Amino acid sequence: MAEEPFDADKVDSAAPPKGGSIVLRDRFLISGDKPLPNLDSPNAQAYMAEDRRDFSRDLFALVCSPGIPPRTDAMRRLKSDPGAGALELVDWGSAFWPLIGRRTVVIIYERPLGGRVFEQIKNNRARINEYDIPRKIIQPLVAALRHMASINVPHRAVRPDNIYFIDEECQEIVLGECVTSPEGFDQPIMFEPLERALASPAGRGKGSMVDDMYSLGASIVVLALGVNPIERMKGEDLLFRRTNMSSYATICGNARVPILLLEPLRGLLSDTPNERWGLDEIEKWLNGLKQTPQQKKAAKKGDTPVRFGGRDHTNVRTLAHAFNRQIPEAVRVLKDETFHAWLKRSAGEGDLSDSLKGFIDTSAFHKDGMQGSDEFLVARCCAAMDPLGPIRYKGVSVYVDGLGPMLAMEVIRNGNVQILTEIVLRDIYQFWTSDRAVFMDTVEAASVFAQVKAWLTNNVAGQGLERALYELNQGLACQSSHISDDGIIFIEDLLPALDHAAGQVEGKSKPTDRHVTAFIAARFNEDILPHLKALTAQKESTSVIGMLSLLAFLQWKLKAEPVYGLASWIGGLLGPAINGYHSRTTRREIKREIPKLVRKGSLPDMFDLIDNAEKRQEDQNGYADAVEEYAISAHEIENIEGTGSELTEKAEKIGQKAAATISIITTMIAMTIMFITEML
Amino acid sequence: MNVKSIVWGLLILVLLLMAALPTVMVIAFGMLPGMVAFIVDRTEERSATFCVGGLNLCGVFPYLLELWTEDHSLEMASSQLTDVFVLAVMYGGACMGWMLYLSLPPVIASFIQVMAERRLQQRRKTQSDILKEWGNEVIEDANLGAGIAPAPVAEESQKETAAA
Repeated sequence: MAEEPFDADKVDSAAPPKGGSIVLRDRFLISGDKPLPNLDSPNAQAYMAEDRRDFSRDLFALVCSPGIPPRTDAMRRLKSDPGAGALELVDWGSAFWPLIGRRTVVIIYERPLGGRVFEQIKNNRARINEYDIPRKIIQPLVAALRHMASINVPHRAVRPDNIYFIDEECQEIVLGECVTSPEGFDQPIMFEPLERALASPAGRGKGSMVDDMYSLGASIVVLALGVNPIERMKGEDLLFRRTNMSSYATICGNARVPILLLEPLRGLLSDTPNERWGLDEIEKWLNGLKQTPQQKKAAKKGDTPVRFGGRDHTNVRTLAHAFNRQIPEAVRVLKDETFHAWLKRSAGEGDLSDSLKGFIDTSAFHKDGMQGSDEFLVARCCAAMDPLGPIRYKGVSVYVDGLGPMLAMEVIRNGNVQILTEIVLRDIYQFWTSDRAVFMDTVEAASVFAQVKAWLTNNVAGQGLERALYELNQGLACQSSHISDDGIIFIEDLLPALDHAAGQVEGKSKPTDRHVTAFIAARFNEDILPHLKALTAQKESTSVIGMLSLLAFLQWKLKAEPVYGLASWIGGLLGPAINGYHSRTTRREIKREIPKLVRKGSLPDMFDLIDNAEKRQEDQNGYADAVEEYAISAHEIENIEGTGSELTEKAEKIGQKAAATISIITTMIAMTIMFITEML
Repeated sequence: MNVKSIVWGLLILVLLLMAALPTVMVIAFGMLPGMVAFIVDRTEERSATFCVGGLNLCGVFPYLLELWTEDHSLEMASSQLTDVFVLAVMYGGACMGWMLYLSLPPVIASFIQVMAERRLQQRRKTQSDILKEWGNEVIEDANLGAGIAPAPVAEESQKETAAA
């Protein structure tokens, strides 16, 4: 008997046995036992998929690696607005994947039947001559990029092994997926524009169509030649060579590139972003319009080299890259007059030398402050030495729009997030953006960083580093220790996941840790600030009520199913909130009611029970009366008890007065009677 | 007491002696215990004076009436003051006054003491009930003076707090 497919959409159902199939959205059957390694992405594995409503469709599923934040925003846009020239994103969602035993993002794509273009060309299964390249390769890819530009989704994964033949006859070319990892993360250095390749893979940034155009150029070279001309050149060597010689010279230098393609390749492979060919230029070229040829510009080089970090540098950009890795040595070189003499005489960078000296003087002036630190000085100097490069600080290289994915990767891998937060908190980005006003929207970049800084410096629950993390990475799963294995990326899945996690909770840990609150704040489009402020309160009872109110609001607004486990979990934490009532009778009543509401799984009802305004007012009034009554009693007791023999004396005096009164009254009565008797 | 008052007092006394000497004689001798009580009683309230003097007057008054209604003369006054029975009635009244003054206060004090104890118990119970219902924080919030000792902590409320 065939194994029943597992309903992958249910967050709170028990994990099925490993292996087998899943059904996404009650529609797409994904077979875990039918992998498609030929369609794998660097960070996602491909499996056969079927549309149960339309069996004629050829589909495959990409199962993302749980440790990499996918581009959910791009998925939404590509699904709602599919365009020609790229694999169609049919559907996507978060699902439990039995093979890894946890939830992850699964994307359903149209299946390319002809395989990868580069492999087919290499294996001579497809023949594309140099004259076919513009029409068969460049045109469809440009159409795909044009569409992506129109929906503001840069592809950022254009490379030869991500271009497919959609048909079995290997005639029609399409761009592959681009959503299983952050922008540029999977790109080999060769296919990433130089300024972004200098950053760490996770920190290359969202980028734009300008970056896709470079990747297109580099991919055209490989597809046209049928081989990667610089296949053996890797990592730092490739970066060093590209920086020194220019990307075009490095990639096309020794290759027999068809003459027909020289003009577009020179434009596409330009290392200066604002001079690089865009879609308009390449379309004009495809239409046969002659462009003004770009001059082959070699990078600025000195006559004599400077030895640093085991390499001979003739270019200040490579030096900037090296300086960031060896900060104490870099400071020594920066303060050395010989280096400045080299800058002026050999490298022809007199102005830069003056600027660097200015930074050194500023650093000396602020020697006791953060701005006087070696790390700050080197970061400032690197930004000036490489005006196109990434932010460099304490050995980290990150592009300004790549901070979010880089932060996510560091958090997921328990790396060092402190350096990244320092870039924001110490305003390292400010001088970086001011140096780059020529080619980017520095105001926007600065405003993003200012917002991140505001989050980082805010201590209210739902803010801080975690808030920045989830705001900057829409595809990042909630990293709370309670539900990190559940791969929760949608707010709708949060409560069921917490409900499921309730069974494994130990001790008195709260469901709303910093990650959960930040995740809610980032993904839930309602005003939850009052709840967050209550959650942050020092007073435990207020904090517990804040937690309950936040989750109750979430359940109410999302119309979520009853959460029995979570209700029980929260019920066990309500002690301080119940003790917020003064009246023991009210406390007992609430304690009696809680189990009933736990059985209903309703957090709003539970909140209404705990924080009923009328009940609280009654309690306050009753308590105030009780305090007053207690004080009155205390004073009366004091009066009665008095001090020493005071009460006896008082009683004696009262007795004496009574005796006198009796005596007087008796006398008056007797005298009156005697007088009347005498008169009669 | 100033000279003016003494002069006025003496003037009135002389006038009284001239106008009603027999009455003055009976009062002066009959009210001796009351006067003694007035001299002995140094309290502000003068309870002993009122108590003894009142009943002393009660004993003197019938003979004063007799004097005023029958024969207001020195002989009559002298005969009354030399009659042992008359003196026994006058001084017996004063004696009753003294007895009343000495015996009533302890009785009343005991009664008041019992009432106070009962009130004290009621108030302590009220406090204990308040603490049971509203907890020990009431003591703090009642902001009692240093001299006022709080009531004992209600054990039940303590247990509840610990359980919560």
